[in-house]
Amino acid sequence: MSTSLSPAAVVRTGLQVVTAHVRRRPVPFAIAVLGSLLFSAAIVASSVVLGWVTDELIVPVLDGNGTGRIRLAVALIVGVGVAKAVGIILRRAAAAALQYGTKNDLRERIVDHQLGLTMRWYASHPTGDLLSVAEADTTQATYVLAPLPYGVGAAALLLGAAAIIAVTDPWMGVIAVLWVATSLAINIRGSWRMAGLGQAVQRLRGEVASTAHESFDGALTVKALGRERDETRRLRRDAERLRDQLVELGVIRATYNVAHELLPGVVTVIVVVLGAWRITADVITAGELVRVTFLLSLVLWPSRLIGFTLWQLGDSVPAWHRVQSVLTADDEVAYGERQATEVDRPAPVEGDGVRFAYPDGPPVLDAVQLDIPAGRTVAVVGPTGSGKTTLTLLLARLWDPVSGAIRLDARDVRDFASGELARELAYVTQEAFLFDDTVRGNIALRDDLDPKDVERAARMARAHEFVSALPGGYDTRVGERGVALSGGQRQRLALARALAQQPRLLLLDDATSAVDPSVEAEILRNLKDADLPATVLIVAYRPSSIALADEVVFVEDGRIVAHDRHETLLRLPAYSRLLRAYEQDAQRRDQHRSAGRVPGGAAT
Amino acid sequence: MTTDAIGTVSALRRALRLAPALRAGLWWTVALAIVGAVGRLVVPVTLQVVIDRHILSPTGVDVGAVVRLGVLAIGVLTVATLANRQAQVRMSAAAARGLCELRVMTFEHLHRLSVLHVQGERRGALVARVTSDVQEIQQFLQWGGVNLLLGVLRIALVLAVMVAYRWELALVVAVITAGYAVALRWFQQLLQRAYDHVRVRVADSMAAIGEAIVGLPTVRAYGAESRMRQRLRDRLAAQYSAEYRTHRTAAALFSTAEIFSAAVQAIVLVVGLFVLDGMTAGTLVAFMFLVNQFIEPVQTLVETLDQAQVAASGVRRILRVLDVPPDLDDRDEGRDLPGGALAVHARGVWFAYGDGPDVLCDVDADLPAGRRVAIVGETGSGKTTFAKLVVRLLRPDAGQLLIGDVPLDELSARTLREHVAFVPQEGFLFDATLADNVRYGDPQADDGQVLQAFTDLDLNGWLAGLPGGIATRVGQRGGRLSAGERQLVALVRAWIADPAVLVLDEATSAVDPALDVQLRHAIERLTQGRTSITIAHRLATAEGADLVLVFDAGRIVDYGTHDELLADSAVYQRLHRDWTAGTTLAPS
Repeated sequence: MSTSLSPAAVVRTGLQVVTAHVRRRPVPFAIAVLGSLLFSAAIVASSVVLGWVTDELIVPVLDGNGTGRIRLAVALIVGVGVAKAVGIILRRAAAAALQYGTKNDLRERIVDHQLGLTMRWYASHPTGDLLSVAEADTTQATYVLAPLPYGVGAAALLLGAAAIIAVTDPWMGVIAVLWVATSLAINIRGSWRMAGLGQAVQRLRGEVASTAHESFDGALTVKALGRERDETRRLRRDAERLRDQLVELGVIRATYNVAHELLPGVVTVIVVVLGAWRITADVITAGELVRVTFLLSLVLWPSRLIGFTLWQLGDSVPAWHRVQSVLTADDEVAYGERQATEVDRPAPVEGDGVRFAYPDGPPVLDAVQLDIPAGRTVAVVGPTGSGKTTLTLLLARLWDPVSGAIRLDARDVRDFASGELARELAYVTQEAFLFDDTVRGNIALRDDLDPKDVERAARMARAHEFVSALPGGYDTRVGERGVALSGGQRQRLALARALAQQPRLLLLDDATSAVDPSVEAEILRNLKDADLPATVLIVAYRPSSIALADEVVFVEDGRIVAHDRHETLLRLPAYSRLLRAYEQDAQRRDQHRSAGRVPGGAAT
Repeated sequence: MTTDAIGTVSALRRALRLAPALRAGLWWTVALAIVGAVGRLVVPVTLQVVIDRHILSPTGVDVGAVVRLGVLAIGVLTVATLANRQAQVRMSAAAARGLCELRVMTFEHLHRLSVLHVQGERRGALVARVTSDVQEIQQFLQWGGVNLLLGVLRIALVLAVMVAYRWELALVVAVITAGYAVALRWFQQLLQRAYDHVRVRVADSMAAIGEAIVGLPTVRAYGAESRMRQRLRDRLAAQYSAEYRTHRTAAALFSTAEIFSAAVQAIVLVVGLFVLDGMTAGTLVAFMFLVNQFIEPVQTLVETLDQAQVAASGVRRILRVLDVPPDLDDRDEGRDLPGGALAVHARGVWFAYGDGPDVLCDVDADLPAGRRVAIVGETGSGKTTFAKLVVRLLRPDAGQLLIGDVPLDELSARTLREHVAFVPQEGFLFDATLADNVRYGDPQADDGQVLQAFTDLDLNGWLAGLPGGIATRVGQRGGRLSAGERQLVALVRAWIADPAVLVLDEATSAVDPALDVQLRHAIERLTQGRTSITIAHRLATAEGADLVLVFDAGRIVDYGTHDELLADSAVYQRLHRDWTAGTTLAPS
């Protein structure tokens, strides 16, 4: 990206971004600049005070002419010190408010915006990249705001110094102008070159991170297959590429760095030589030459700061582009206006000519016609990879069909306003996702839910027993910093969450796969006995679960092959083969055993 | 752990020891930096010579001599600058190289620790060991390292000049500054606590950001967007407040250097004027300048030490990982296994995760060579733990496991992984093609062999349904395949490794029943003459096994064939009832 940007473009974009940030927080910026200017002024004042102390105090006193005004001198010296300190505090504290406030703003905006984007967009943006934009790039894009006020103060000092020099002598003025121009040119060129390299470094860092992430996530597999060395080799390759890029960046950085230090030195020497000649020509006095060189020595640090600020700008621009590409992503879920209805009645579900494929993928669902009457419990059955999960994703409107429509109680799910559909349906996925929150918070998902309802839901999902045994009961924290739960326990909490919402449609996608069969059977019985005011759709394999359903939808290769009562469907060979697999296998085994043979047996 | 207690300096020193590239050619770098630092003297010296010998000289300015002097000065300046550049280049290159070593070393070590696969939820934090922690050290070494070095040089130089002028006054300045340095250390401790607090807040808001992204399907399905937004806002606000307060405190603490510097100047003035005898105006003025020159690098050092602390805490976190002795010491040396079928024995095996309750208690088992063994039991009875012990993914707290009569501990890693394959319940796939994922089991396998492995397991039908065949990319964590399909690939991956002992931990739990039965038949056929250990959540596996081990609450309570157990084992009867109720269709 940056290679296509000219140096001027980097600075221009950078300044636009910075201006936008500063506009949102003008007060901290103003205070920080004020602090920076106060500090600069105090630096100049300190030299004035020192001159005054020398002339008015040191020389007379050491000559034996009384005690002089020692109290005033001490007060002035300490006063200037305090002024510098106040300048530092104002600048640094206000710059922190500017930088961190803006960074957190960006994070909030990014997450806010992402919450509205489609799953299609998520599918084409790896999670690792999104996390890195929200975390690392927001930090990097706002990093320039820390030195910015200092840089502005320094620029004021630099321009002031150049003006004073120009006033002293036009010739020296010419040199001063050339010097400021060269300095700016070096800074801009440096910031551009480092922006390119910095971006490459950032990308390589991302690669190292995602390799490490993947390798650690798959640690069990890596270990079980003895592939640790290959994994180390893989990381080493990424780490070495990053290293080489960092070394290259180091060379460029050092070059611009020292160019910065060299320039004021050379200019000072030229000014001294020129000054010596100008003094002989009687244009300036020795005192004026000393003042000019003193000024030059004062602005060495500020001129480096301007460079530093511009370099940060160069670093921030690519990060800002990445942030911007998320903030401007427009693949948003299109919501309608419809509100949820406040009725305790189960909702009928309808799929009409639904066709679906993931982006650039083969068709997953084709011509799906589905009609589930209100209040029924329906099992969706089909072989591995036949499209069952995708069907539930469409019903929950996590994806939209390519063509056709899904209707809940005769209303197209796409017509619902944001958050409204969720008030009528609850969806439980194969892999239970728990929030970094308490058990109660995870079940209730809102603060106004009656604790009794939470407990009732937990009991129905057979979660109450183990939750009660947790150290903090329902107030135990789960997740990254809390109690580790088993897969089955997590699934039961996710189920309790769905039940606590009292939905009109309950979607369960293999939601009890990690629960022991007897516990699962009990949960399913609980659901049946509770006579929920809900239509229930269950993706399941276990015949016992399927048998509890009022009707079965049989899916094969992305099509609904049949929709009928379980008993009727058993006449279908494909369905019967799938459902009776274990039973028939056991029967075959028994027959073989009685015939004295064990299929595939190793016994000889 | 003792690593927490070690100071900033010793932490950084250990980092230097661990990564020799950090120190390589350090003295050259220091020498170049000194030459570079001398460049700072060029301007004041030139100025002094021009003023004293030309401008203020009675003979007036010799323009030719001044120009020659100017050219000389620029020459020296250029040389010093080049030396300086070289020093900086070397410094950052050494940092990049050393930290690359440290990164790879830490990564390698982490793979030797069971913590990676035992405490799954801590993985995110462990990734930080090889990413952000290393980066923090890098940032310090790149800038801080140079500053530290030059700062110390400048302090020494200025101190020497002050002593040469008036040692009494130098002593006064040095003593007061030493007192200030003590105060600075206290400030640092204060700041460290504040930074720790910030870190906790940062972790909180990162978790909120992470779950808003990772948990999006759940968030959306439950319309929990506004709750997520509110939580994120609260946490970001808490983070901001911690960050802002900390930086304000830091600003206040750093600013004391200015007041302190002014106070020392005032003290020098009073002492020089009224206490010491024989002071000259020139010396006193020089001292006023020198005090500034002395305190400025001290101030820089303080800031650098602040960065050093951040870096040191990164080092400490890395050391805390490196100091954990590898509990899965996969050494190259070790005994080999004989060819052919291998028996597995467990002798008085105990195991607990960390300080938790015992998961396995005194387990004894004999798994005969070349037989199919099934392990059954309720969730939490210790089945998976036992399987992981057999494949040395965990180490027993007491007792011993043997494969082919060789203690597991004495096998080399290579031998172990060649002979024993393990398929965990969650078939983890890497973001690569199907073929590459299968090749994780045998890196040498060509496409033909990969295809053959699918054929062996009767999976050609499934494979034919994929648009790209074995060249299909599976996506992050295999996300483009369903959970059941991921398990199929994991199974093929283990099979291609051609193991003598195959351990399956509910490896087909997410595939449909018909495919499960079909796979089981294929596995039964393929594992003839091999030892297979299958953890079965579906009891059909147990029905066909030569031996069934029944686990209950961390013990093997019964063992035998399916028929025997059905006759005498209460636990097995219960499990079987459950299973039959779940799989058999009620006669209608």
